[in-house]
Amino acid sequence: MNFEKVVFGFFIVLALTLNFGFFVGDIDNPAHHDAMELGAALAVSLIATVIKFGDRSQMGAVLLATSLVADLQLLVAAFVWAYAAYATDAGVTTEVLASIVSLSGGAVLANLVSVTLLVAETITIRR
Amino acid sequence: MNDIVWLTMRRMRTPLIALILVYSLSVFGMVLIPGQDEAGNAVRVNYLDASYFVAILSTTIGFGEMPVTFTHAQRLYAFIILFPNVIAWLYSIGTIISLFVDPQFRTVLHVSRFRRRVRRMNQPYFIVCGFGNTGRMIAQGLLNRGISAAVLEREPRIVQGMALDEEFAHLPALEGDVTDRRLLELAGLQAGLPNCVGVMAITNDDHANLTIAITSKLIRPDLPVLARAETQRVADNMASFGTDLTVDPYSIFAERFYLALRSPTKYLVQDWLISVPGTRLRTELDPPDGHWVLAGLGRFGLRMARIFDKAGVDYTVIDVHPDRVEQRAGSILGRGTEAHTLSEASIENAAGIIAGTGDDMDNLSIVMTALELNPRLFVVARQENPHNDELFNASGAHLVARRSLIVARRILAVATTPLLPVFLDHLLSQNESFAHTVEKRLEAILDGRSPGLWTVELTGEWATSLHDADREKVRIRMEHLTCNARTESLEHLPCVCLVLERGSQRLFLPGAKQELHEGDRLLFAGRGSAQREMLFALREPTALISVAAGRHYPRGAIMRAVARRRAS
Repeated sequence: MNFEKVVFGFFIVLALTLNFGFFVGDIDNPAHHDAMELGAALAVSLIATVIKFGDRSQMGAVLLATSLVADLQLLVAAFVWAYAAYATDAGVTTEVLASIVSLSGGAVLANLVSVTLLVAETITIRR
Repeated sequence: MNDIVWLTMRRMRTPLIALILVYSLSVFGMVLIPGQDEAGNAVRVNYLDASYFVAILSTTIGFGEMPVTFTHAQRLYAFIILFPNVIAWLYSIGTIISLFVDPQFRTVLHVSRFRRRVRRMNQPYFIVCGFGNTGRMIAQGLLNRGISAAVLEREPRIVQGMALDEEFAHLPALEGDVTDRRLLELAGLQAGLPNCVGVMAITNDDHANLTIAITSKLIRPDLPVLARAETQRVADNMASFGTDLTVDPYSIFAERFYLALRSPTKYLVQDWLISVPGTRLRTELDPPDGHWVLAGLGRFGLRMARIFDKAGVDYTVIDVHPDRVEQRAGSILGRGTEAHTLSEASIENAAGIIAGTGDDMDNLSIVMTALELNPRLFVVARQENPHNDELFNASGAHLVARRSLIVARRILAVATTPLLPVFLDHLLSQNESFAHTVEKRLEAILDGRSPGLWTVELTGEWATSLHDADREKVRIRMEHLTCNARTESLEHLPCVCLVLERGSQRLFLPGAKQELHEGDRLLFAGRGSAQREMLFALREPTALISVAAGRHYPRGAIMRAVARRRAS
C-alpha cells in the first residue's frame, strides 16, 4: 500500500466533496450555502496543495497546478464573503451570494480535474 | 543578405539614374509652363502638384489633369514627356523582373535562405552531402530519430524536388558544388553552429566524397565524418587522415556473405540488429557449400571472389571482359545471360550463383535463366537501381545486394547508435558461443520482429534518479532499469542491454546485478514498448528508487519528511 497515495487521495477527494456540498442548492438562497462549509473546503484544499510540494514528476506538477486553481477560486470566494459581510452596509445580498457560489463552482471543476488525474495515474500504475 | 542588396543596387544603377533624370526634368518643365485657373488668371503648377501629376502620368495610372484643367501649352508638354517617362519606368521594372529570374541572383537568394535556415537550426543535425537514394534513406532515418539534416546536392532537379516533398521541405537544402569549401562552411563547418554534429559524404562520386572528408577534417577536426568509398584506394586514403567511418557497400555485403557462409549465427544476430526496426526477422539463411558460379567480375564480383577464396569455396567466373577472364584459369567468356554460357560453367551441378554484373536487367536475366536450368540454386543478385526493388523481389533471389540500402543502414547505425558498431565488432571477434547467447536472449524477447535500438546516457536529467538513489543509499542495478516500474510483479521489459560503456571501459551483455553509475552509456535492443517504459521510469523521479529499494518513495516533500521520521 502506498501511504502517500492514501493521504493525498483523502485530502483531494475531501476537498471535492466539501466544495460540492457548499456549491449545491439554489444559487442565491442563503439557507443552502453555509459559510463553515466554504471555510472547511478552503482549508482542506490548501492542505492538498501543500502535500504536492516538492514533487518533481510530470503528474505531480499538473496536480499542483489544478489544486492551486481550486485554492485561488475558493480564496476569492471567501474574501468576497468576508468583504460583503463586514465592510459593506448591505451585507451578503443575493447578488454577492450568487457570485460566491459561482466561484466555488469553478473550484469544484478544478477539484474534479485533480481527482480525474489521480484516478488516471492510479490506473496506469499496476503496483 | 548583403549580397542580395549589393547585387540589386549594382543592377539597378542605370535604370534608376535614367528614371530620376527623366522624372525630375519633367517635373521642372511642368512647373515652368504657365497655366490658367477658371477665372482666366495665369497660374503656375506648384512642385507638389507637378510631382504628383508626373508620377501618375509615368506609371500610366492617369487620374486626369490637375489641379485645374490644362491649357493647350501644358497639354502639349504632357504629351511630350509622356513617352520618355513611361519608357523609363518600364525599363526599371523590366530590370527588376529580369533580376529576379537571373540565375546569379537566384543563387544568391538560395544561399542566403540556406544560411538563415542553418543558423535557425535548433536541434542536432548532420551535413548530408549528396541527396540521391542513399541520402534520402538516411535523411528519413535521421528525422525518425529526431535528428535533422542540412543537405548539399549537385543536381538542381533534386533540390527543387525536395521543396515539393512534404517530408523534406523543411530541411535546409542547397544546390551547388558539394566539394566547395564555402558551401560546407555555410552548412555548418564554420564556428558558431554548435548543433552541427557531423558530416556525411555520400555522393556517388568517390573523389567528391574524398574531397569533402579532407575539407571537413581540415576545418573542423573534431566533427565526425562518415563517408562512402567504393574503392579500396579511396577508403584507405580516407582512413589515413582520420575519417571516422568509410563505407564500402560491396565490401560490407561480401563480409556479411562470408559470415553467412562460415558463421550463420553471427550473421543472423548482425542482421537482426541492423535491419529496420519492426520488420520480420530473417530466419536461418543457409548458403550451401559446393560449386558456385560468379557472373560479373567488377567491383562487386571481385570482392565476392575474394570471400570465396578466403572461405575456400570452389567457383567459376563468367565475365564479358577478355582480360579479366584471362587472368583466372578456368573462367568463361560471356555475359551469363545466355543458357549456354551458364551450362559451360556447369550450372546444373552448382550450389549457387551470384549475378553480379553492373546492369540490373542483365542480373535479372542471369537469375531467371539460371533458375530455369537449376531450380535448387541459391541465388545472390546485385541491384544497382532502387526502382527495381519489386523486380528483384519477384526474381526469386535469396539475397539481394542493394548498394544504397547497405550504405544508408551502416551510416545511420553509426550516426544514431554509435555503440552498435562497437558491439558488432565485438560479436565478430568472439567465438560462436557468444553469438549463440546473444541470439537466445534476443529471441526470448522479440516477437518475430526486428528490435529497436536505443542508447541511454546517464547524464543530466537522465541521471537524477541515480543522484537521489545515492542520497538514499540505494544502489540502482541493471535489473531495476530493465523491469517495468509500473507493475506490481516488476515484470521484465522485453529488451537486452548489449553494451555498457563507462569511460574507456566496455562491458558486453552486462548482467542483471551490474550497478549503474552516472555517465554510463548503455545500448539496448528490444521492443518499442520497452523503450517507452524505460525512458518513462528514468524521468519519473521516484520510480527507479522505489523499484530498487522495494518500497514506495513518497514524491511530495512533506510525505518524504514524514517517511524519514518514521524510518529513524
